[in-house]
Amino acid sequence: MASSRSDDDDKVVRPFAFFRAGARADARAANKPILTFDGVYKYFREDQPTLKDVDLEVERGEFAFITGPSGAGKSTLLQLVYRKHTVDQGRILFCGRDIARLTPKSIPFLRRNLGVVFQDFKVVEHWTVYENVAIALEILAMPRRLVRSRVAEALERVGLAGRGQEKTCTLSGGEQQRVAVARAIVSEPALILADEPTGNLDPHLAIDILTLFEEINETGTTVLFATHDHSLIASRDHRIISIDEGRVVEARTGLRSWGTAKSGLHAVG
Amino acid sequence: MVARARRGLREEMRLYLVAVTSLSVAFLCVGGALLATTNLSKVAERWGESGRMSIYLRDGARAEDVTQLRMVLEGLPETTTVSALTSQEARALFLEQSDVNSDLAGLPAEVFPASIEVAMAEGTPIQRVDAIAERVGRFRAVSDVETYRSFFDRLGSLVSAGTNLATVLGLLVGLCVFAVIGNTIRLAVARRRAEIEVMKLCGATDGFVRGPFVLEGTFQGAMSALLAVIALGLVFASMRGAIDRSLAEFLGSRAVFLDAWVLFALVLGGGLIGAAGSAISLRRYLTV
Repeated sequence: MASSRSDDDDKVVRPFAFFRAGARADARAANKPILTFDGVYKYFREDQPTLKDVDLEVERGEFAFITGPSGAGKSTLLQLVYRKHTVDQGRILFCGRDIARLTPKSIPFLRRNLGVVFQDFKVVEHWTVYENVAIALEILAMPRRLVRSRVAEALERVGLAGRGQEKTCTLSGGEQQRVAVARAIVSEPALILADEPTGNLDPHLAIDILTLFEEINETGTTVLFATHDHSLIASRDHRIISIDEGRVVEARTGLRSWGTAKSGLHAVG
Repeated sequence: MVARARRGLREEMRLYLVAVTSLSVAFLCVGGALLATTNLSKVAERWGESGRMSIYLRDGARAEDVTQLRMVLEGLPETTTVSALTSQEARALFLEQSDVNSDLAGLPAEVFPASIEVAMAEGTPIQRVDAIAERVGRFRAVSDVETYRSFFDRLGSLVSAGTNLATVLGLLVGLCVFAVIGNTIRLAVARRRAEIEVMKLCGATDGFVRGPFVLEGTFQGAMSALLAVIALGLVFASMRGAIDRSLAEFLGSRAVFLDAWVLFALVLGGGLIGAAGSAISLRRYLTV
């Protein structure tokens, strides 16, 4: 059920619109990494930092796995990006802007340029599929007609075309995660943060969801995909950012290439 | 925002119904107290419109004594009008002012003594009125002097107590509405936490999240007050006849309902307290 974009689409004013994938409002920002961690520390306990001196760059349009054992700091890394927490030391630049210095009132405008997908889906079960996806656009005060067409398009991309009126609680886990993905992509964010999105799904569905994220990445959206599922990582040839005890250990290429090219992991943190 | 508030009301209908019912009872108490105070005030106003003194004349008082008394009274700076009433005129005036249809119309004129009605200037000190009454009472033609002072004092105290009661009740109900709506919204928020979290993660501002909840609180408060006003109106309409037949005959005025602006203020106040209760109770749930 593909729906064509109307002229209204271009008329909608979005804050930080230049953050959108493919947008080139600021030439200097366009040449810089979309996300930069610069000496980032995060402490939840004074004597034990969750993240230690993290230096990391994510290029525009990149797909990167973030992996590591439970409690290594994968989720914290992502939470710092969408400002659930603030960094205690260092800085995080998103499109060249230091997000650690955003005021609380600016945080919603940062999040409008991010799509976040969680392990527990975080969909509102008593809402319909349409309502769950449309909320991301209603927040942007988009005209209702445009919301309808954009939601239909997003649902089609995640394989839920024509199911907008179904209650989300009646969907399977995999389908609920697809709803969450549709919600994350419907506003065309510059960056998608997926925090263990396949953690609650069986291996077959996990591959489906991963493929979905790869398709989204092919349209130019940067994807950070946190997972500790090595079979998932091994099946693809993407960059791997490994975190262990708060430090980042990085492989510039995926396990497949690593296996053949013998490139190996190197510490950058 | 309105659509989301409507959806919230629909989804939490049972919870809101319980809250609105409880709050209506509270508003009914305030409305009842206000109604009682309004009627007491009206009685006080009616009886104490101005400082009055009724000088009752003895039967067969001589005309020259009465004339002399009138001249003395008219010469006082504290009096504004001095008028003599015959028994017939006193009876007619009583029936006119008593404002009730009853068998009192059958009373003979002899029951009402001839009198001189004196209207005192506003602000005349009580002591001065008492001094005049004492001096007038020494005249030969005078049987009795009524200043109504003790009655006004007691009525004034009653009105003042009623007003205080209504004020205290109003404050208590305000707090009650605030707490009940706050807790209701808190319960609703707890049940809709996922909703709030999703909205915040999608980039919703606090205002966007808070808006529907504040609307729901406003609606609850205003609806509770409106229901209370309607219930009070129905109770008043059904009891008005009985009140007029008993109390009004004694007090001399008909029962009145609350002014339109008081009713409007009640509903508006309910809405505002509901909105404030919602907004404040939501604060700590907005950090995601």
